[in-house]
Amino acid sequence: MTKTTVVGQSVLRPDAYEKVRGGKGFPVNVTLPGMLHAKLLRSPYPHARIVGIDASEAEKLPGVKAVLLPEDVPQKKFCPVFFVPTMAASMIQDMLILSNTVRYTGQPVAAVAATSIEIAEQALELIDVEYEELDAVFDTESAMRDGAPRLHEAAENNIAKNPVFEFGDLEAGFAEADHIFEGTYKTQRAHTCYMEPRVCVVDCDADGRLTVHSSMQHMFGLREKLAFALDLPDSMVKVIKPPYIGGGFGGKLDIGYIEPIAALLSRKTGRPVRIEQTRFEDFISTTRNPIEVYLKTGIRADGTFTARYARSTLDCGAHATHGAEVIMVHGMFGILLTYRCQNQTWEGRTVYTNNMIGGGYRGYGSPQGCFAVESQIDEICNELGFDPIEFRLKNAHHEGDPHPFLQGFNLTTYRFEDCLRQGAERIDWTQRTAPDSKQGVLRRGVGLGCQPLWVSGCVGFPDIYEHSGAIITMNPDGTANLANATVDMGSGQITTLCQIAAEELGLRADQVRMTYADTETVPFDAPSHASRVTYSAGNAVKAAAADAKQKLLEVAAIMLDTDAGDLEVREGHVHQTGTDRKLTIAEVVTRAESPFVQMTAEGPMPTTIAEKGTIIGVSSLAPPSNPSPSSVEFVEVEVDTETGEVKVLQAVFAHDVGKLINPAAAEGQVEGGFQQGMGYALMENIQFDAETGTCLTGDFLDYKIPTAVEMPRRIESIFIESNEPTGPFGAKSLSEPCCTVPAPAIANAIFNAVGVRVKELPITPEKILAGLGKL
Amino acid sequence: MKKLITLEINGELTELSVEPSESLLQVLRRQYGLTGTKRGCDSGGCGCCTVHLDGKAVYSCMVFASSLQNRRVTTIEGLTGDGELDPLQTAFVEKGAVQCGYCTCGIIMTAKEFLSHESDPDEEQIRHAIAGNLCRCTGYHKIVEAIKTAGSGS
Amino acid sequence: MSLTNVKEYFTPSGKDEVLELLQTYGDSALIVAGGSFVHGLDARDLLIGIDALIDIKNIGLDEVRNTSEGLSVDALVTFTELKKAGEIKDRPEFGAVRDALEYPPLQIRNLATIGGNIASACPYFDVPTAIMALDAVVQAQGPAGSRTIDLQSFFAGLFQNALETNEFVTGITFPQLPARSASAFIKLESNANDLAIVNVAARISVDDAGVCQAARLVVGGGVAETPVRAAAAEALLEGSTLSEETVQKAAEAVGTELDPMSDHRASAAYRLAMACTLTRRAVRQAIERLK
Repeated sequence: MTKTTVVGQSVLRPDAYEKVRGGKGFPVNVTLPGMLHAKLLRSPYPHARIVGIDASEAEKLPGVKAVLLPEDVPQKKFCPVFFVPTMAASMIQDMLILSNTVRYTGQPVAAVAATSIEIAEQALELIDVEYEELDAVFDTESAMRDGAPRLHEAAENNIAKNPVFEFGDLEAGFAEADHIFEGTYKTQRAHTCYMEPRVCVVDCDADGRLTVHSSMQHMFGLREKLAFALDLPDSMVKVIKPPYIGGGFGGKLDIGYIEPIAALLSRKTGRPVRIEQTRFEDFISTTRNPIEVYLKTGIRADGTFTARYARSTLDCGAHATHGAEVIMVHGMFGILLTYRCQNQTWEGRTVYTNNMIGGGYRGYGSPQGCFAVESQIDEICNELGFDPIEFRLKNAHHEGDPHPFLQGFNLTTYRFEDCLRQGAERIDWTQRTAPDSKQGVLRRGVGLGCQPLWVSGCVGFPDIYEHSGAIITMNPDGTANLANATVDMGSGQITTLCQIAAEELGLRADQVRMTYADTETVPFDAPSHASRVTYSAGNAVKAAAADAKQKLLEVAAIMLDTDAGDLEVREGHVHQTGTDRKLTIAEVVTRAESPFVQMTAEGPMPTTIAEKGTIIGVSSLAPPSNPSPSSVEFVEVEVDTETGEVKVLQAVFAHDVGKLINPAAAEGQVEGGFQQGMGYALMENIQFDAETGTCLTGDFLDYKIPTAVEMPRRIESIFIESNEPTGPFGAKSLSEPCCTVPAPAIANAIFNAVGVRVKELPITPEKILAGLGKL
Repeated sequence: MKKLITLEINGELTELSVEPSESLLQVLRRQYGLTGTKRGCDSGGCGCCTVHLDGKAVYSCMVFASSLQNRRVTTIEGLTGDGELDPLQTAFVEKGAVQCGYCTCGIIMTAKEFLSHESDPDEEQIRHAIAGNLCRCTGYHKIVEAIKTAGSGS
Repeated sequence: MSLTNVKEYFTPSGKDEVLELLQTYGDSALIVAGGSFVHGLDARDLLIGIDALIDIKNIGLDEVRNTSEGLSVDALVTFTELKKAGEIKDRPEFGAVRDALEYPPLQIRNLATIGGNIASACPYFDVPTAIMALDAVVQAQGPAGSRTIDLQSFFAGLFQNALETNEFVTGITFPQLPARSASAFIKLESNANDLAIVNVAARISVDDAGVCQAARLVVGGGVAETPVRAAAAEALLEGSTLSEETVQKAAEAVGTELDPMSDHRASAAYRLAMACTLTRRAVRQAIERLK
């Protein structure tokens, strides 16, 4: 592998300077002249039919410019998820922008656009809605029972989707087992807690064309979904790329209600319309779906798997939204494909209830599976005396194996073992003691959790968009512009892509600038999700840069009277390999952009036609593969056996990353992912009133996420570089496993500390105390 | 009924007409376009709205604008008077403490006040000082390092 | 949200003006000091029918003073200011107050006032539990003059204080405590910016022989509508030499005097168990501080 000079450096983020001064680029700051403000009226009932709406008083309120009711919206059902075609067969089209049937408490039923937020709020109070309450169900068991209220016509027993995967012979596998373990593992509803609220400004012009600003993770997905919901061709919708957004984590991967509603109100009023959600509205908008997993595993005496059976029940709430895909990713990458086993059956159910709808969230179903699988492996090891690392390795995939999911691909680079061994050493794994040997009020334990198989993008997944494109334009000053549709939500996408382009072009990272883009000016790109930006968009950016580089070299070849094949770029120059002859990149670009005949002091200087033209590189392509990274987290905790409180002392994260593009940014992903995974493990839980379905945890007082005080004082990252041949400069992916592995590692560490196994997240102090028999 | 008040924002005296329930956060963003102060929750839970009131870090979402007669407000835009970066801002950039950036200004304002009366604080003190500021991207690790660097330098 | 319906925001400059406004607006007025709790109340629909906010920050009640009655803390003293007061910082009997003031984040400490905190009558707050263990009393001002109200009477119910409509809190007074006194306060919370699941304040006063002359055990958080003095448990400590065994018995006895609630934060059983555990720990800490 060639040595890199920009890739691999902890280059400072170009957007950081602006952000520490205030950050003008957030979509929440967008204002347009004449802009109106809209608010949504939300149902107080979990399941109801709207019998009548009278908005006449609201319309009369001075300052109110338009009201939107269910009768005003296109009656076209859609699936709001960005990264799939709207009518994709594998997804479920069950939503309307506004409906006469309410299926969860908080569902929008009407909207008002007014000259101020306060007037819009007042107007909401003047809308009179007559509801006919219907029976509601709040848990999947009740929802699936015969006689339960049917939430959607197409779904019998409220089962929206019921995938089954079978490999080998399960019965034979269990018959062969020396030991069988079973358990039920439950995870809760959690929120991404992006700090910038969901917000949009939509402007409909006189021709009906929409211009959209939104805090979201996918420009082209928003365009497609919005166009569909409003019965417009895609080309009538233009989505502007925000310079950056204030967090997403998967929670901004669908049209909420706000963009289509703002669009319709803008169309009605002829003015731009802005909608910003309150934190409470954000809490009831999009979440990680709760999944209950029943897992049964058969093993031989030597610890190898003979059979694995799992049944997962996902509560998708009022509409399927992401639930139809989350269940698939959960089943495959959260359970089936994690380890080798010839005889496996998994059954998944996405079930409607009158709870709030789900969205995407880092890990996308795999954290729910990982918690179950890694907890049960820990139980097996503790019960039968296996070493947790050796046990996993016995059942692990190997480098070079055929990819367990993607036909025609291999696990070309796969360093799961290195992750386990190096992480174990860093945390002194061999110093662990058994729970029953521990004494004292405060007890410490060490645990581990893994995500053996994951993705770098979405190649191979049915119905999921996976191609990227970029345009590189060289400037006469020797710098480059990069136009690409990737949204930076904080993970450093801008920096990464600029680094990749810079490396390819022989420039410094700060000589490549990510520029303005919108859906009319740049090629399609899939969202910032699925840990795909470095690998997939990075691949496209590298290709565009290579394209630009080729043209640069061709011009330079003419200038140096040699072949382009003799030239290379390095440190801002074009060099003739093996000689001292060189030109600055600026000189070459200037030459290409200069007039055909340039007047100089020495007289007219003609140049050739062949050298002329802006040096642009373009790409639009799918990445070549979907290589799997591998992740392991080791965690040490201290449990107070009198209160049940858990302090996380340290974490060591080891990851098979392919190639590290930006070490500091990568550490940031690990550290931030740990905050989310730890919150998921110990304290986060969206809760509802059991009778009314009203959200009880709609602000940060009641929905707890870790502050700086709760975080472990030591988080160490070990990045193992395996140089993936299909990745840009050898890179695979990183982001999601950082959020997936902490929870099982923490759960297993708690068991090691106090011998209490909690199979339901979050593991609150109360559950630990109950497990200790003290409640 | 609207009230007219005079206050100082980032060193400039200004006159303001406010509704009884308007918060300082609303006023800063809507009437002054000072968008560096951000709304994350409007309930004193996230810290994105932190500013200085008479030199003290407060949640601007819970300060009534009507109470600001003759008071002194400083926002991130007024942190340095001369266009240079405050050592905290530089440290945040250089330590990789900025990811999405939405919480960043609130934390810088909190840390600025904290460091003004606590020189060279240790890690525990720093973590407690920013306990009222939430971050979802960074895990706080590099933020603590940045504050420590700025704190030991000053 | 009712806050947007508020019609007036007054900033009176003296007590008399405040009383006049209270006379005019009665129950439709809300006194505001720091204002750090108002939006939270509003978000939970607990501010119905408020027409006027009366901001008392400018009426000059912002001192901490030693008086013949004891340590007097004016209503507008912020948490940050109280933390800095010499007595609070140094004296073992104020340990509980010191501990309680450590918990809230910096932004709240700078804004929240003692008067506002007490007047809110919120059982999930920390300062009320702590000061009740020190026998603090509330000073209130009305049209007829000022009066003193003991805390147990003052906290009448959930978010309900014993003030008349035309009265407001002007401060609290900590009476002189016996010479060898120490206190401690512990809060159980889910993260570092939280209301208490349970909190406990313990104060002990001993004579020269180490025999406990007075004990106060106060439990707050979700254990009742107001902070609760566990009198029976206190009686077990009083007259004892505060042995490990006695402390344990008292801690267990606290449980019998409480009837906590279950909510989405914690169950009653957990709160009960934690009240006992925190009591034991707080008493031990107070004993340590006597040394």
